[in-house]
Amino acid sequence: MIRFDYLLKKVLFAIITLSIVVVFNFFLFRILPGDPVKLLFRNPRLTKQVQETIRVQFGLDKPVWINSERLQAGDLAGIFDSQFGAYISNLVQGNLGVSFAQRNSVNKILSERVGRTVLLVFTGEFFAILIGMAVGMVAAWRRGTWADAAALLIGLTTWALPTFFLGIILLVLARGFLPTSGMVEPGLAKEGTLTYWLDVGRHLILPTITLAVGSASAYMLIMRSSVAEVLAEDYILTAKAKGLTTVQILRDHALKNAMLPMITIIALNLSYVVGGAIQVETVFSWPGIGRLVFDSVAKQDYPVLQGAFLLLAVSVILANLITDILYSVLDPRIKAS
Amino acid sequence: MTFSDGTPCTAVEAAWSINWILENELPAIITYLSNVIKADAIDATTLQITLSQPVNNMISAKLLYVYIMPPHVWQELSAEGIMSYDDPSVTIGAGPYRMTEYQPDEYMILQANENYWRGRPPIDQIIYRQFANDDALIQALLSGEIDLVTAGSLPYSGIAALEADPNIKIDSGQAYQFSELSVNWTPDGTAPASLRDPVVRKAIDLSIDREQIITVAYAGYGQVGNALIPPAMGGFHNTDIGEIPYDITEANRLLDEAGYKDSNGDGIREDKDGNPMEYRLMTDDTTAYNFRIIQIISDGLAQIGISAQPLVESTDSLIARQVDFDYDLIHWEWYVDADPHFLTTVFTCAETQDGGWNDSGYCDPEYDKLVEEQATAPTLEEREQDIWKIQEIVATERPWLMLAYEEAISAYRKDRYEFDPRNPIATLKWALFYGFKKIG
Repeated sequence: MIRFDYLLKKVLFAIITLSIVVVFNFFLFRILPGDPVKLLFRNPRLTKQVQETIRVQFGLDKPVWINSERLQAGDLAGIFDSQFGAYISNLVQGNLGVSFAQRNSVNKILSERVGRTVLLVFTGEFFAILIGMAVGMVAAWRRGTWADAAALLIGLTTWALPTFFLGIILLVLARGFLPTSGMVEPGLAKEGTLTYWLDVGRHLILPTITLAVGSASAYMLIMRSSVAEVLAEDYILTAKAKGLTTVQILRDHALKNAMLPMITIIALNLSYVVGGAIQVETVFSWPGIGRLVFDSVAKQDYPVLQGAFLLLAVSVILANLITDILYSVLDPRIKAS
Repeated sequence: MTFSDGTPCTAVEAAWSINWILENELPAIITYLSNVIKADAIDATTLQITLSQPVNNMISAKLLYVYIMPPHVWQELSAEGIMSYDDPSVTIGAGPYRMTEYQPDEYMILQANENYWRGRPPIDQIIYRQFANDDALIQALLSGEIDLVTAGSLPYSGIAALEADPNIKIDSGQAYQFSELSVNWTPDGTAPASLRDPVVRKAIDLSIDREQIITVAYAGYGQVGNALIPPAMGGFHNTDIGEIPYDITEANRLLDEAGYKDSNGDGIREDKDGNPMEYRLMTDDTTAYNFRIIQIISDGLAQIGISAQPLVESTDSLIARQVDFDYDLIHWEWYVDADPHFLTTVFTCAETQDGGWNDSGYCDPEYDKLVEEQATAPTLEEREQDIWKIQEIVATERPWLMLAYEEAISAYRKDRYEFDPRNPIATLKWALFYGFKKIG
């Protein structure tokens, strides 16, 4: 049973974190030097008048924090006639604003890309968890043997390998056999047909491997040390003495206890399912959230960045909340403390 | 002549388009129609444009950028309606291709326009793919996944790999682009007073190894810079302005003579107030080669006793600095229109105000007069003369030190396509496809 007050405390904490993120998110981009209109429209073709129109359109003519002019005029409701006020009121209505660069609603841009990122990161993490846990368990069981040494060596090497570097190496190796960029061959088939999804699958191979290799080694290393620790416990010795098979010992006695640290790292990694793997998506031109963030930084597209950061923050906070709850289910000692 | 959907495209539609842009004050395009009052179609092939004053660059600076649009699609929309309009199915034009599919950040598909007035283009379908990664782009061309990388997209870092492949041809040509070093010498700014001394600016100019910039940063695809107007603009480029020599000895001699001595022997000269000659030398972080350029400049300056640590900042913060004249030296890369008008206006007094383009702070009413003259000169010869004079002034006063004229470079698979280089300026993408023919 999960205790209600424990749950309430955790949810409350998540809400507070989220509100801080919402405010921080707004100011993060406002403290950068320069005027977004100047930058985006530093274009000889735009007259001063047009620049002014654009500034009004995006609400950039208003004061950033509070409208002190209207406050001085005794108009209390007018205090929030500011960029911050508009941001909060839009946010409450679920409106993330309009992209400077794409002239499109940020909600629409993000929702188009979220699915693609989830597909990529989820596939990658799925294989990473499977491989990482299996190899980690074997390495711990065969601790000190050549199999353990090999797993450690390969694990540490791939873990230390920068993701983009691995991606580029794979790109060069697979040149001519597998597609190097994008999610689908342009104009090949209509979305939703079998041919379309098979082609998406082909495009998924390289980014998935890149993503999985990096994550799998992290899972492997943690799984290995975690299982090794459990295997040193007395109850494992008891289980061995009872004559249980290796599979029984690992599955029924070691695994559940070794899972706690794994849950933390899996949950943290899964929170990036929405945020996107910026490096992998950029190397393979995968049109997801990660690449959107990368492009938007280059274009200084603040509304998109704000929206993407908020999405990322929400997913991290949610993942943490779920971890906390899972923890208390897996280990009853935690909710007591 | 018809649009891609078969409806007529004549002077009537051209006149309608110009008037419609004027009426709705379409942002960006409207500035190309300054001084235009209205357009009338006399008959199907005669267009009459009424101006408020004589304009000498009607085609190169104005009509080239004004779209002729099918009235039956556009007349339903207001200026605001266009802002939020996103139905790509009505991409109707009179060009050789029409867009049939578009996925933002992914690809765009163009189909040959059967009704194109010069005849059906030689290539049926063009797929534009967007790569987020330069290495992937190069690998895709090497493996044959793609056939062509258009100008402006080819990374300098990949050129060596492409040059080594016998199936790939690199094509290059002059382009409307250049890079310069802006010098801040307005008294209102934060730059050291020594930059206001023409001798110092000349010495800096002589200390720049332009050949090395071309080789190292632009992989050899460029010309050393000297005049304000790039050679791609033909007769407007002042050929009398000689190459700026890379001459450390002369630069040192000039500074010595002007009294900038290194009196404390630390390798850095002191200015007239006894302060060390140290400048902030900056570029933006958009490309890796930008940094190489300012490194080369910094090395040259070190040899003439000037300390300038290369610094990289975001474009955003550099623009903020420029607007406030809070910088010493900034390297910028430019892509400009085919007409020289805009470049000549950069150094006018008006552009020093309200975050205008004049980042050096140079201001001279005589110069402003010349700019006005070139804009209204009745003949091309007279306009060229004015523009040559303008370039002489810029070369002597040095608000900008012209570094290089980069070439537009594209690369294609020559085992699949033949290219007839009738269009040397590869930036004209639509015309470019006319030069291609499939092999076999």
